Amino acid sequence: MRRWLPPLVAALAMAQQPAEESKPAPAAEQRLSGTLEFGYRVLSGVGGDFQTYRSVVNLGEGPKLFSLDASWDDPQGRLLDKLDLRMNSWGGDPYNTARFVAGRDRAWRFTADYRNIQYFNFLPSFADPTIERGVLLNQRALDSYRRATDLELVALPGRRVMPYAAYSRNSSRGNGITTFVLEANEFPVPHMLRDHSDNVRGGVRLEWPRWQLHLEGGGITWHIDQQVYTFAGRNFGNVLRPVLGQTLFLDRGNQSLDVRGSSRFARGSFRLHPAEWADLAGQFQFSQPESKTRYGQNNSGNFVSFTLLRFYSAELVSAEARAKQPHSSASFAAELRPFRRVRIVESWMTDRLHDAGAALLTDRLLAAEQVLDARTLGAAERLVLNYNQQEISVLVEAARGLTLRGGHRFVWGDAKTPAPLVVLPGPEPKPELRRHVALAGGSLRVGRRFRLSTDLEASPGDRSYFRTSLHRYQRGRVRGHYQALASLLLSVNLHVLNNQNPTAGIGYDFLSRQSSLGLQWTPGGGKWISLLGEYTRYTLRSNLTWRDPATLRSELSLYRDNGHAAAGWLEVGMPGRGAVQPRVHLGGSMVAASGTRPARFYQPFGRLALPFGRRGQWYGEWRWHALTQPLYLYEGFRNHQFVTGLRLTM
Amino acid sequence: MLGPLRTANEAHTPPPQNRGRLPRAPRPVLASAAVLFLAGLAARPQAQAPAQSGYAGSEICAACHDDIVKAFRKNPHQRAEARGPWQGRACESCHGPGAKHAESGAAADIENPDKLVASRAERVCLECHGSDPALRARAHGAHSRSQVSCVECHRIHGPVEELVLKTAGVVNRQCASCHRAEWAEFLRPHTHPLREGAMSCSDCHNPHGTPRPRSMQMVSANEPGCFRCHGDKRGPFPFEHPPVRLEGCQACHEPHGSRNPRMLVRAEVRFLCLECHSNIGSRPALGGIPPALHDLQSPRYRNCTICHSKIHGSFVSRGLTR
Repeated sequence: MRRWLPPLVAALAMAQQPAEESKPAPAAEQRLSGTLEFGYRVLSGVGGDFQTYRSVVNLGEGPKLFSLDASWDDPQGRLLDKLDLRMNSWGGDPYNTARFVAGRDRAWRFTADYRNIQYFNFLPSFADPTIERGVLLNQRALDSYRRATDLELVALPGRRVMPYAAYSRNSSRGNGITTFVLEANEFPVPHMLRDHSDNVRGGVRLEWPRWQLHLEGGGITWHIDQQVYTFAGRNFGNVLRPVLGQTLFLDRGNQSLDVRGSSRFARGSFRLHPAEWADLAGQFQFSQPESKTRYGQNNSGNFVSFTLLRFYSAELVSAEARAKQPHSSASFAAELRPFRRVRIVESWMTDRLHDAGAALLTDRLLAAEQVLDARTLGAAERLVLNYNQQEISVLVEAARGLTLRGGHRFVWGDAKTPAPLVVLPGPEPKPELRRHVALAGGSLRVGRRFRLSTDLEASPGDRSYFRTSLHRYQRGRVRGHYQALASLLLSVNLHVLNNQNPTAGIGYDFLSRQSSLGLQWTPGGGKWISLLGEYTRYTLRSNLTWRDPATLRSELSLYRDNGHAAAGWLEVGMPGRGAVQPRVHLGGSMVAASGTRPARFYQPFGRLALPFGRRGQWYGEWRWHALTQPLYLYEGFRNHQFVTGLRLTM
Repeated sequence: MLGPLRTANEAHTPPPQNRGRLPRAPRPVLASAAVLFLAGLAARPQAQAPAQSGYAGSEICAACHDDIVKAFRKNPHQRAEARGPWQGRACESCHGPGAKHAESGAAADIENPDKLVASRAERVCLECHGSDPALRARAHGAHSRSQVSCVECHRIHGPVEELVLKTAGVVNRQCASCHRAEWAEFLRPHTHPLREGAMSCSDCHNPHGTPRPRSMQMVSANEPGCFRCHGDKRGPFPFEHPPVRLEGCQACHEPHGSRNPRMLVRAEVRFLCLECHSNIGSRPALGGIPPALHDLQSPRYRNCTICHSKIHGSFVSRGLTR
């Protein structure tokens, strides 16, 4: 290895020399530019359900740094010629982001990206579907945040050999409410959530004019730590009536889940440009995550075991588990241009995943400090997924600005899934995927003013995994843009998906339609007035046969979602002096949906911006958020927000 | 609780049908290979080697297109003007030789990628940018299929902010200008925080294309991009919930937004579960059945995830209860 190292390093160093001798960039000045926006937000108080407000909007009061966008350039800098810093929504808002970029052209580039997303969810309609009838069941709620940090250092960007290294950390921390399930009763209890993962990767990009290669390797470790615990006091859970003559309750309970996992992964990709009429590209990815789990549980109170038909006062559970999941993927694509107006694109992809896991659990039930029952249970399961897809498309430039496309996609695969808990009579279903799809489409472009593109695909249906999977389906999309005037842009979107599975016992009928219209009007470059508007009408119909497991009666599951969504923005310039022109903004968005879960969600706003000087602007803003759901009236809210702030331009 | 005891040997027995045999390539694949082979035979070199004469130089361009040249100075492509093979003629690196156009002033005498058919316009860009790994799966992507070229999203002459879309808000506005129906889904009450600028469309989708359906991003080589943030759902679980792996998160969630809590595709959890777990009488598809003690007339059984709380997969429970 040592003998080969010096010539290899020398070869790489020579390869870094560009084909032609480069000259230094022309002299230029240092430049600092950017904007800073900060202010104060006031809430009027939330009317209705505060927990729903937090689950949907969750903006708070106080001083805020709304955005900072700063760039510094120094083309003459020897070590550093560029710095970028972007920050958004700091000061207690539920979403904070920051991005920092530094580098020297063709020498190095460092990127740091940070985001913190708060996740609050406490919606009774999710966990307590019958709360309006006074039946209080368990709650499932979350109050957590997730932080993600990504760091990347690229050496010699823009050169032929580009090594790089990257590190990512993703962590979550928070609390919630979950259920402590003990056979005949479920007890709502506090839940503590912790998890984090560390991902390190590095690789090299080799770039020559006719071929490029990218190799990357890395590893990831993660840790999940979840705790369920109880406060002092007796918890009677959901089942308040006596069971077999006794009341069930939980006095004390703990569950702890400790998962450690790791994975090595590697990927490589290439692109070849062997001739002017051909491009070839391919990728290969492999990962092998594995996890080790320790689980412990102890609880005391009064519980019943239906298996033993006995009451017990305490339970001790411990479990260990392991799982491994080798996962390989590969893809290949070729684009051939045999004639001037013809393009043939062939792509192929495969994805193979094998998951194998096993767990060993010991469970002891105690009554009056005596062991009532002790069991050791082992279980092992396997999930295998093989997915393949091949597609060929032929694109023909039929006329000037008109390109037509036709093709075929074939999707096939198989799976092996764990046996169901309840074994049914009759032959086991063979999990197979097989789908032929006809593809068609076209794009029409008339100058710069008119553009229309369509995508159509249809499959006669063959084999699919699940009752609601894509089966016999037709999908169509139309997108159009029309620049009617220099100041007026109109756009239209249509989307239809019709999916049917008439197989006996399924009878799935799904139809979804979305139609959107957009308008953008900016006369005179928007100096005095500009208007943006969009409107979407959508409908969804889903019918599916299912059977009640208790009565075995055949029922129909119906789901409907019919709605109107609109968003608009009107900006009006007021008379002023030169560039110092006050502006008024009005707009907002609304959704009004009927069907299975009717809902109205309004978010109008108004804003007045008063510039001072060439680089400053004061603004005041009002927003209103209102959610109404006729079937879940207890889960509605309304709220006014006022913001005052300054925007400074550097 | 764990289910009935199964031995490790039973669980790990590989499926017998493919053991010891190489998989046969399906007919459509063979047919496609044949088409590609014939296309390769028919192909003739189309593009001529770039002529060394006929270039005017950027200074000549600036004489008429002063506004564009000024804006171009803040553009990363300006580097081509300063060094490398296109030094002093960066305009012509994309527009082709411009001497004839400089003489005649006729638009017909110069190539404008903005007016070219998408497949040719993107070849102009890929001449230099084809090596970017993010573009490696371009042929799989919907934009390439639908003739959406690079210049539809990247403004070439303007400042860097317009050329390379960096902030989430700018990326989202760009995507929404065409994908209006998808953007309207984010107006619903329960969504990912895209409208707030905390995420961008490109966090989940690679607009340049990936081999995955819907150009989904991948993390840690080939794991679905959802796990970048939802790492606790990554597994591998000893007890997987098969739809998570076989169909993906969108089997149960509307990732763009929903009026249902937790972005579910159904208003009540029980219907979402029972639509699959309902193969009673016949078993045409995957998905077992709940035991008969699950009396759906009782409110206690109307939210399956109360007991089956580890619905994305469990580390210790076959029934996904803990």
